[in-house]
Amino acid sequence: MSSGTVAPGTVVAKPPGRRLAALREGGWQALPFLAPALILVFFFLIVPVIWTVLLSVNKTRGLNFGTEWVGLDNYERLLTRDSRFLNRDEFPWSGALVNNIRWLIVYPILCLLLGLITAVLATRVRYEAAFKAIIFVPMAISATAVGVIWLLVYSPDPDIGVVNALVAGAGGEPVSWLGRADLANYAIILAYVWASTGFVMVVLSAALKGISQEVIEAARTDGATEWDIFRRIQFPLLSLPIAVVAVWMIINVIKVFDIVYIMTKGGPGGATRVIAYSYYVETFENGLGGYGASVAVVMLVLIIPVMIWQIRRFRSEAVVS
Amino acid sequence: MIRRYALAFGAVVLALSLAIAAAACGGSDDGGSEEGTGTVSVLSLWGGSEQEAFQKVLTQFTKETGIKTKYESARDFLPVVRSRLAAGNPPMVAIIPRPGIVADLANQGSLVSLEELGLDPEKINANYSDAWTNLTTVDGTVYGVVAKANSKSVIWYSPADKAVKTTQTWDELQSLTDDLATSSPIKPWSLGAKDSWTLTDWFENVYARTAGPDKYNQLFTGEIPFTDPTVKNALEMMSKMLNDKTVAGGIDGALGTGFVDGIGKVFSANPSAHMYMEGGFVGGITLADVNPNVKPGESIDFYPFVTIDEAQGQPLVGGGDITAAFVNNTDVAKLVEYLASPEAGTIWVSTGAIVSPNKGVTPDAYPNELVKKEAEQITSAETFVFDGSDLLPGALGEDWGTLLQTVLKDPSKVDSQLETFQQQAQDAFAG
Repeated sequence: MSSGTVAPGTVVAKPPGRRLAALREGGWQALPFLAPALILVFFFLIVPVIWTVLLSVNKTRGLNFGTEWVGLDNYERLLTRDSRFLNRDEFPWSGALVNNIRWLIVYPILCLLLGLITAVLATRVRYEAAFKAIIFVPMAISATAVGVIWLLVYSPDPDIGVVNALVAGAGGEPVSWLGRADLANYAIILAYVWASTGFVMVVLSAALKGISQEVIEAARTDGATEWDIFRRIQFPLLSLPIAVVAVWMIINVIKVFDIVYIMTKGGPGGATRVIAYSYYVETFENGLGGYGASVAVVMLVLIIPVMIWQIRRFRSEAVVS
Repeated sequence: MIRRYALAFGAVVLALSLAIAAAACGGSDDGGSEEGTGTVSVLSLWGGSEQEAFQKVLTQFTKETGIKTKYESARDFLPVVRSRLAAGNPPMVAIIPRPGIVADLANQGSLVSLEELGLDPEKINANYSDAWTNLTTVDGTVYGVVAKANSKSVIWYSPADKAVKTTQTWDELQSLTDDLATSSPIKPWSLGAKDSWTLTDWFENVYARTAGPDKYNQLFTGEIPFTDPTVKNALEMMSKMLNDKTVAGGIDGALGTGFVDGIGKVFSANPSAHMYMEGGFVGGITLADVNPNVKPGESIDFYPFVTIDEAQGQPLVGGGDITAAFVNNTDVAKLVEYLASPEAGTIWVSTGAIVSPNKGVTPDAYPNELVKKEAEQITSAETFVFDGSDLLPGALGEDWGTLLQTVLKDPSKVDSQLETFQQQAQDAFAG
């Protein structure tokens, strides 16, 4: 990363050469103060990452490390021969990796859309506080509890499941939402959307409040319709918080585990497995530490670009706001 | 001046952090047979009524010896045990639900053998028949005792339900199923296939009766491949018995229904199916957790899984949980010895929750007809085969259940699924 590639107006950090110079000039005094954090990061982040990568090129029994060097065998098996992780035999592809992509597309879009709509609409009604509280409440429920609640909501028995009670009430046959391979993924995603829309709404509505009323009044005076105001003033000014929330959700989705574990345990027939669930099954259920580590590394590789993008944006924001 | 303080401060912080890190990395000590600490931790997967029943045994143990016990329940038994082992904090005693895992753990050196505990394996094994002691023996060393036994070859029904009659053969059962599917307002079968082990039990019963006990044992120990035609044949028979027409809610509905909810479909106040095929423990769970109003012998009863091929007879598919020790001390030894005793077995069976394989437990210790009948079935079985998916090493047990879910939903996938599974099996059996 040379300083030349940074777009004009976004430079905040000193170029590397100057940074070293700063250290020589006596910046090393900062080191003792940074040391506690650096040591914690080293032992609890960097060491485990290296450990995981090393594990992933070994064949292990249990979690003992380094019993047998196998090179990239674990990755080869994971990406070509493990049909529950990635099945390319028939179109459309399936498996945990594909399910994660499904999550990546559906979950953030639905959350943002619903969050944005509720945030914008909430500011326009008189019972705003009550309305927001209702949408926000699920956020206070842990993912495991959300899973249990929605297990009951989706129950195939119309006497238990609300959704099937509605279906049966309308004269339809009860649907086994979590028992059908084609529906189960979306059923889980929807439950998770229900749980996190509140968060998106709160962040976005706080940002909305931050937009100066004068700007909006000025637009109205100039003859802008309400839609114009949303489309040309509020939405562009919200793009930053939207991006922040989106990154948060993307990282969350790549790591998603708890709700899948509670609601389907990856079933039926492995149809709802996600990367983190595969990692859990391989490492703890099957005792294949090395193979599980290779799943974890794949997950890490997917998350890193998002992180880099996020960090870069943080740097540029420092100037913008 | 300031710089010197900063340096000293930094050094102190550095030393402290290193000390903390070092302490975090240490730990995990295992010595010989030490003096106990007065408390023994026990881990198993039982919750609810099953846990309460076991707790009675532990309470009696504490009364007799003064050693306290701490019971921990982990529904997800294996992951919990593995991560606690890795962290150097295993439970002192665990009741392991799968014998296949006992061998895994013993080979990894995680288990303490009876001999190391200072117990006499022969004296303890004298109370159990070979079928059971084989499960606890790994390369000639005895690593535990079978705590409880289950018959998994039973069909549950309600005698009060006039539409159902008991059957002797597969053909009779199939025609009863077909009749009910067309004539009855509710479906013939309930299936809790969300818990895939209910499907592996179905398969094992059909397979043991079609291919025979010898092939059964060969299949689940890796001597014959899963692509063997007998496997496909058994799966096809299963699909004929269990499909959208015969299962409550269809296969989709079954895949969304757990084991206990499956029981409810037959024995709740408002049933949606006539019959349920699962282990002897269904009775205890129904009475305690599903519907306390059912009466053993009147509105809940079972009969042995039907004969399919006369030549193969009626092999009993059974399951069992094994008590094994992870920590070696005198308290642990006392608990393991106690759990292997007829006294403990008698207290335990009197709760109606389990059947004991212990020869010292007499039939009159069982509190109701259902468990008494199950105990008889287990002790009188001519051929006994152990729950095959529980014998499979590592990942295979789970994966086999996942395969059955897939095949039941879409029988046309049977060949490709079996081929993939066989590849996995080869890797797993090779270790």
